[in-house]
Amino acid sequence: MEVIEAVELTKVFNGLKAVDSVSFSVRKGEIFGFLGPNGAGKTTTINMLTTIMKPTRGFARVAGFNVVKEADEVRKRIGVLFQDVTLDRELTGWENMWFHGLIHGISWRELRDRISELLKFIELENWKSVQVKKYSGGMLRRLQLAAALVHEPEILFLDEPTLGLDPQTRARVWDYILGLRKERGVTIFLTTHYMDEAEKLCDRVAIIDKGKIIACGSPRDLKQQVGNDVVYLRVSSKADLLINLLIKEGLASQPKLIGRDTVSFTVRNAHETLPQAVSLAEKAGIRVVEAFYSEPTLEDVFLNLTGRGLRDEEASDFEFFRARMRGRFR
Amino acid sequence: MTSWHVAIYVMWYRQIIRFVRMRSRLISSVLQPIMWLIFIGVGFSSALRGQLIREVFGGLSYITFMAPGIVVMSSFFTAFFSAISVIWDREFGFLKEILVAPVPRAASIFGRALGDSTVALAQAALVLAASYVVVPSLRLEGAFVALLASLLAALTVSGLGIAIASRIKSFEGFHLINMLIAMPMLFLSNTFYPLKTMPDWMRIASSLNPVTYGVDLARYSLTGVSYFAPAHSLSILLSYALAFTILATYAYAKTTIE
Repeated sequence: MEVIEAVELTKVFNGLKAVDSVSFSVRKGEIFGFLGPNGAGKTTTINMLTTIMKPTRGFARVAGFNVVKEADEVRKRIGVLFQDVTLDRELTGWENMWFHGLIHGISWRELRDRISELLKFIELENWKSVQVKKYSGGMLRRLQLAAALVHEPEILFLDEPTLGLDPQTRARVWDYILGLRKERGVTIFLTTHYMDEAEKLCDRVAIIDKGKIIACGSPRDLKQQVGNDVVYLRVSSKADLLINLLIKEGLASQPKLIGRDTVSFTVRNAHETLPQAVSLAEKAGIRVVEAFYSEPTLEDVFLNLTGRGLRDEEASDFEFFRARMRGRFR
Repeated sequence: MTSWHVAIYVMWYRQIIRFVRMRSRLISSVLQPIMWLIFIGVGFSSALRGQLIREVFGGLSYITFMAPGIVVMSSFFTAFFSAISVIWDREFGFLKEILVAPVPRAASIFGRALGDSTVALAQAALVLAASYVVVPSLRLEGAFVALLASLLAALTVSGLGIAIASRIKSFEGFHLINMLIAMPMLFLSNTFYPLKTMPDWMRIASSLNPVTYGVDLARYSLTGVSYFAPAHSLSILLSYALAFTILATYAYAKTTIE
């Protein structure tokens, strides 16, 4: 059964297409991820699916309801962990959860038990009476996750759930997310620009770049598209010449240039091909500065499709434009 | 859908907690009007003596004339600036929390306006108590109507503040609002000088200002002196409060995170 369905979803800001005809569907109980660099349109997609932004074109159904026409029905059934902190810093952790529960229509009596249960789950019981402004980044993230769960949503939206967290806290948040699906059968839609996060958590991943979905499938299927091993050779000069040589000698069929000085290609057996490629380069007078290979990751899938890394551009032109527009009157 | 009374209650309660938690703001918002009353009131009272001048202020001493206005001013400023904090909610992301909840927008904003007005009312009561100490000639029996006038003025400017904040998307806009709206509303409220001696343009502007009617009504109840008939002030205040609440609801319903 499909619980999220987007058809040609499009959002245009000031003539810029933030999300461009995006179509996908998410099955019940699935963890579905949007993987892409910053500014790719992930948050805008979440904003449209969670009813707080209207699509310019196209439509989406969440839990069977239209996100524009039946927004309140959608809101009842979803929980959202926004990328920015949506807690009230003046209130305590407990009060924030209480506030969240009440505006979602949970009765007072039920709320008490649920809050204490969830605070236990995220291990913040001892902090429940402390004002949120004194929390650390990881604590804020966990409390926000708990708040999103108070009303027991069928579908959970997580926008960059581990952004800015240290590795230990990230691993803990991952465990919470996996635990949620296992224990409560919640369907989860998440966005991330960390490929390890997408690989670890998601059943299926849509890779999004510049507002468009460029690939969609399980992490394993996506990685198989790339091939087996990925070889990287960084050279001091004449990378173009090396690419030609590799093709001519039949060592690689489609070598790619990454940046200015790195050549990458996929092969079946990197531990045999890599030394051959290095000696080929040196015979031609090209000095290899660095050589390594890896089993393919989702990062390679992205690289393979776009010719760029996931974190090449910290902020896109679009984000920059938005930041400039914010300061003005509308 | 979360029911109306729950939504109103939660939003109301949040505004109260927030206000109580910000202790420095709480203290300054009560102390400031009292300082105005004491320094400006006493200062001008001793400068403006004599029968002729008393006549200008309806037979009252200057400080007696000004005190009811200061009570209303204290609630007006508190309500206005709490309402403007919708901008902060947007900036800090809290607005999304409300927008994504299955709660009627009108209920959530009405609860908020009610919370801001409650805080403003409590503050007006404290300032009124202090005024009785500084100006013993104020009528004790007028306290209820004076506080009603403060509450209605608070509801009106809270509605106005929310409507403005729903349209303005930045911190920078805040200072502009203070300059262009809050200060003129204060100076044109007939708190500091009577309507009757104002030049025509100023009297016209002042009679468009909802706060004017709150001040005039409070002055009537506390001193017996007023420019408008009290029933006239009350009905205009009520209409303004209703109109701005509707405006706030409408503007807030349209607000988005874009």
